[in-house]
Amino acid sequence: MTEETNQMTSALLYLDDVSVSFDGFKAINGLSLTIEKGEMRAIIGPNGAGKTTMMDIITGKTRPDTGDVLFEGKMDLTQHDETEIAQAGIGRKFQKPTVFESQTVRENLELALAGNRGVWASLFYRESEEEAAKIASILETVRLTHRANELASDLSHGQKQWLEIGMLLAQDPKLLLVDEPVAGMTDAETVETAKLLREISKTHSVIVVEHDMGFIRDLGVKVTVLAEGAVLAEGSLDHVSAHPDVIESYLGR
Amino acid sequence: MISAFLFRGLAGRIAWVAAAIALIGILVPLSNLFLTPEHALYVPDYIVSLFGKYLTYALLALTLDLVWGYCGILSLGHGAFFALGGYAMGMYLMRQIGSRGVYGDPILPDFMVFLNWKELPWYWYGFDQFWFAALMVLAVPGLLAFVFGWFAFRSRVTGVYLSIITQAMTYALLLAFFRNDMGFGGNNGLTDFKDILGYTLQEPSTRAGLFAAAAFALCLALIISSAIVRSKFGKVLLATRDAESRARFLGYRVEHVKLFVFTLSAMMAGIAGALYVPLVGIINPGEFAPANSIEVVIWTAVGGRGTLIGPIVGAITVNLGKSWFTAQFPEYWLFVLGGLFVAVTLFMPRGILGTLSDATGKLKSLGSGKATALVQDPADASELRKEGEAS
Amino acid sequence: MTLLRALLVCLVTLVLSSAAVPPSMADDLQDTINALADGSLKDRAEKVDALLATGDPKVVPVLSQLADGNLYVRKADNRVFLTESAGKNFTLTDPVSGEVIPDINKRTLDKIKANNSLRRQIRDGLSLFALNSPDPAKRLEAAETIFKAQDASALPAIEARLAKEQDPEVSAFLEEARAGLVLSSDASESDKLAAIDVLREKGGRQVLSMLTAAAEKGEGAVRDAAERAVVAIERVLAIWEGVQNIWYGLSLGSVLLLASIGLAITFGVMGVINMAHGEMVMIGAYTTFTVQQVIQSTAPGLFDYSLLFAIPIAFLVAGAVGFVLERGIIRFLYGRPLETLLATWGVSLMLQQAVRTIFGPTNKEVSNPSWMSGALDLAGLSLTWNRIWIFFFALAVFGLLFLLLKRTPMGLQMRAVTQNRNMASSLGVRTPWVDAFTFALGSGIAGIAGVALSQIGNVSPNLGQSYIIDSFMVVVFGGVGNLWGTLIGALTLGVANKFLEPFAGAVLGKILVLVFIILFIQKRPRGLFALKGRAVEQ
Repeated sequence: MTEETNQMTSALLYLDDVSVSFDGFKAINGLSLTIEKGEMRAIIGPNGAGKTTMMDIITGKTRPDTGDVLFEGKMDLTQHDETEIAQAGIGRKFQKPTVFESQTVRENLELALAGNRGVWASLFYRESEEEAAKIASILETVRLTHRANELASDLSHGQKQWLEIGMLLAQDPKLLLVDEPVAGMTDAETVETAKLLREISKTHSVIVVEHDMGFIRDLGVKVTVLAEGAVLAEGSLDHVSAHPDVIESYLGR
Repeated sequence: MISAFLFRGLAGRIAWVAAAIALIGILVPLSNLFLTPEHALYVPDYIVSLFGKYLTYALLALTLDLVWGYCGILSLGHGAFFALGGYAMGMYLMRQIGSRGVYGDPILPDFMVFLNWKELPWYWYGFDQFWFAALMVLAVPGLLAFVFGWFAFRSRVTGVYLSIITQAMTYALLLAFFRNDMGFGGNNGLTDFKDILGYTLQEPSTRAGLFAAAAFALCLALIISSAIVRSKFGKVLLATRDAESRARFLGYRVEHVKLFVFTLSAMMAGIAGALYVPLVGIINPGEFAPANSIEVVIWTAVGGRGTLIGPIVGAITVNLGKSWFTAQFPEYWLFVLGGLFVAVTLFMPRGILGTLSDATGKLKSLGSGKATALVQDPADASELRKEGEAS
Repeated sequence: MTLLRALLVCLVTLVLSSAAVPPSMADDLQDTINALADGSLKDRAEKVDALLATGDPKVVPVLSQLADGNLYVRKADNRVFLTESAGKNFTLTDPVSGEVIPDINKRTLDKIKANNSLRRQIRDGLSLFALNSPDPAKRLEAAETIFKAQDASALPAIEARLAKEQDPEVSAFLEEARAGLVLSSDASESDKLAAIDVLREKGGRQVLSMLTAAAEKGEGAVRDAAERAVVAIERVLAIWEGVQNIWYGLSLGSVLLLASIGLAITFGVMGVINMAHGEMVMIGAYTTFTVQQVIQSTAPGLFDYSLLFAIPIAFLVAGAVGFVLERGIIRFLYGRPLETLLATWGVSLMLQQAVRTIFGPTNKEVSNPSWMSGALDLAGLSLTWNRIWIFFFALAVFGLLFLLLKRTPMGLQMRAVTQNRNMASSLGVRTPWVDAFTFALGSGIAGIAGVALSQIGNVSPNLGQSYIIDSFMVVVFGGVGNLWGTLIGALTLGVANKFLEPFAGAVLGKILVLVFIILFIQKRPRGLFALKGRAVEQ
C-alpha cells in the first residue's frame, strides 16, 4: 500500500484498511480505495459486497470500526456527521430514488442549491436571479423543465432518478456518490443517464455503483470490484472481467 | 427585514383568515360591551369567556401543527408547554392577589401560608412584575423545549419514540406539579385570582379585553407561522418531515431545523396557556395530563394538519362539540371523542380542510376549470395538496 | 425492685427444686389465689408476686385471666374462679381442682380488677415462669419477651436457666437475652464486652438501639466496642434493607413485565404502538371481577380457584377484543405508526367509557383467594403471598411466551415477519393473519396481566392508564423486538424505582426514572438490546 500512501496528499478521497461489522458480520473488511480529483470510478460487486455500506462510511452515516477515511487529504470523515460531510462537498444519490415527494420539482432543486444552510439564512432567504438561472439550467440538463411545477411524487421512476441527479448538480459537490443510477430505467434512459454522468464527470469527481455492465461499459472508466467487503480487483472493465477471482466471485465455485 | 418577512405570511387565503380573526377580536368585545342584551347581535358574557378559551385552544393547536403537520414531530407533550405558560401567568396573578387572600398575607399566596411556609421560594421572585411573568411565559416553555429538543433531536430520536418520550415528559411534569413541596399549589394549582394589570378579572370589560388579546395572539401566530411555512425554511421543514436523511445528505442540519421550530412552537404554546389562565381563572396540574396533550393532537387532525387554518377550525369545532355533548349527554362524550380519533385517522387523514380541498378539486376538474365560486388561491391549493401527500 | 428480684430468685429456686407440687400445698395455693380478691390494687401486686413465687403451673391460667379481666370471685364464698362466658351466664372453673360449674349468673360474681402496671407485672412474671416450661417453644418465647422487656431483674433467672438449658436454640436466645441485660447493668468491662459480641451476632433494630444507648453511656473499651458493633449491625441492616428493596423492586418489575410484555410483542412484531394496551389489562381485571361474581353466586366452593378460571377467560376476552381491533382498525393503518397511535388512543377512550357504563365508575374489589392472602416471613423480611405469586406468574408467562416464539410454527412466522415482512410474505407467510394473531396474543397476555394486577390494586376504568406509560418505558428501554430486553428492562426499572423511593420519595423517584429513560433514549435511541446494521435502519 506504499504507493497509495504517497498519493495521500493529492487524492480527493482516500480509504485505508477500513473495517466495520454489524453484530459480528463483517460488512467491510480491510477496504482500501483512492479516488483522484476529477476522476470517475465505477464500483461493481455482488450483493452484500459492501458497496452501500462503503457509501454510508464515506458520507458519515456509519462509523467504521477501524481504518482511515480522508477527504482532500485533510478532512477525517470518520469524525464528521452527514451534514458536515455534505457541506464539505460530498453529494450522494441513494439506491432508491429519494426526493422530497410533497414538493415541486423546482422546490426540490431550490432546496439542493448550494448556499447557506442555516436556520436564519433560510428563514429570510430570497432567490437571486443568478440562482434562478442556475435552477433553470439544471432543469434543462435533467430534462425536467416542462414538469418544474409539478409535485415530485407525480414523476416517473426514471424522472425521479434524474431529479435526484439534478439535485446533486445543484448542490455542486466536489465528489458525487451515485448509487445505482439506472436501476429501473428503460434502455433509452440508461443511455441518456450514461451521457449525463460523463458530462458531469468533466467538472466533478464521481463514484458510481452499478450492476448494469452495459452501463459501466458505456461510462468507460476505471472499475473497482468489491467482494466480501474488500477490493477484489481494479482496472479497466475488460481487465477486471478477465480476472479469475472476479469470475469466481460472481459465478461462484 | 422582519416586516417584509411577516408580509410574506399574509399571502393568499391566510390574509383573509387573519383579517377575519382580527375582526372577530374587535367586534365580539364591542358587541358584548356596548350592545344591550336585547340586541340581536349582542354577545353574552359567557360566550365571550367560552370562545376566548377556544381561541387559546386554537392557538395551541396551531403551534402543534407547526411541529407535527410541517415537521413531522408528533409531540404528545404540547400540553406541558401550554401549562407552563399558564403557570407563569398564574404566578403573576397569584402575586397580584396580595393581602386580599384568605390568610391576608401580603407576600405569600394562600397555599404557602396553609403549608406553613415562612418565605417566598426564590423561583417566585419577580412574578409580581407583569413584564417578568410575560418573559417567563415565553422563556420557561422555550427553555424546556430547547433542552429537551437538543437532547432528542441530536441523538436522532424520531417517530413514535419521540412521541412517547414527549408524553413521558409531560407525565413527569404532571407528577411533579402534583407535589405540594414544588411550591405551585400542588393538587389545587393556582386559583382565586383577583385582577390582571389592575383590571378586575370578574369585570366583563376585562374578559372582553382578554378575548381581544387571544384573538390578536392567534392572528399574529397565524401570520408568523404562515411566513415561516412560506419561506425557504418552510421547505426545509417539509423536507425534514418527508425525507429526513435526504435533507441531511444535502447538508441541512436537521437537528437545528427541528430544534428551532420545536422551541418556537413551545413558546407560542406558552402564550396560549398564559391567555387561557386568566380566562378560566384557574391552572392546576391536570393541564399536564397526557390525555390533554393527545386531545390537542386530535383537534389538529380533525381540522387538517399541514394546513395552518385546519388546526384553528379543528380546535373550535371539537371543543364546541365537547361543550355541547358534555352538557347534553355527558355519558357519551368519550365515545364521541374516541370515535373521532378512529374516524379521522381512518377516513379523513387530511382532516376537514384537506377533505374539503379534495372535494373542491374534484368539482373543479368536473367543471373542467370553469368553476368560479370554488376557485382558490393556487398557492394554497398546491400547499394543501402537498401536505395531503405526506399524511 | 429488690423485693421483686428476691422473689424471683426465690421463685426460680422453688421451681427448680420442686418437680411436682406436694398435695399439702394445694390448700395453700387455693388460699393464695382466693386472697387475690381482697384488698386494693396495690396489695394485689404483692399477691401476684406471691402466686408467681409458688411456681405452680396452675397459677398460669389464673394470672393470665386476671390480666385479661376474666377472673371473678364468687360473692357468696369469696372463691376465685376462672370464667368463660356462655351466653348471658358464665361457666366457672376452679383453678386448683379443675371442677367445672356451669350456668352461673353474672350477678353472683365480682370481677377482680387489674391495671396496666399489674398486667405488665403479670406478663413479665409469666414469661420468667415460662422460662422453665417443659416446652422449648414456650421457653423461646419467654426468652424473647425478656429480651424485649429489658428488665434487669430477670438476669438471675436467665442465668440459672442458662446453666441447665439443653436445647441449643433456646440456649442461644437466652444468651442473647442475658447479654442485653448485662449491657445495661453495672457488670464488669469484660462481661460487657462479651455481651456486646453476643449482641453483635444477633443484630436487628432492637439490638441496634440497645447498643447505641450503650455506646452513649459507656466508656473506654465498652464504648468503642459498642460503636463498632453499631456500625457492623447497621451494615447488616442496610443489606437487609437492600434485599427488601430488591424484592419490592423485582415485584414491581414483575408487574411491569406482565403489563408490558404484550406490548413488546405488538410493538416488536408490527411496529404498532397500541395505546389501548392498558385497556386490555383493564379488561382482564374486569373479567376477573366478573368471574368471581359468577362463581360467588353459583359455586362459592370454587372461589379459591376463581383465578384459574379467570386466566384463560381473560386471555380469550382481551385477545378477542385485540383481534377485532386489529382487523377493524389497525390493519388499515400499517406503515403509519403515528396514526395508529392516535386511533388506538381513541379506542382506549371508548373502552374506558364502555366499562364505566357497564360496571360503573367506582372501584371494584377483587378478592384474593386464600392461598394468595397473608405473608411469608423470611428472616428480616415479610413477603406478601400475592406479590410472590405474581412474580413467579410473570416469569412463567414470560417463559411460555418465549417458548411459543422460539419453538412453535406460529412463533417462527412471527419472528420472520418481525425481521423482514416482505420476505416473509413472499415465502408464503400470510402476514395479515400473523399480524392479527400476534395482536390478539399480545392483547390476550395483557388480559392475563389484568388478572394478576387485580390482585394487588383497585380495579377501575382507569386501571390501564396508570400502566401504559410505564409499559412503554419498559419496552423502549429494553429495546424493541427483543423479549429479553423487556424482561431485563422491566426488572431494572422496577428495582431502580424502589431504590430511588426511600430517599427521593415515590413521586420524585418515578420522575427521576422517567428523566433517566428520556436521557437513556437519547444515548441509545433503540433501547438496551437494539439490533444493529443497515436493514434495521431502513
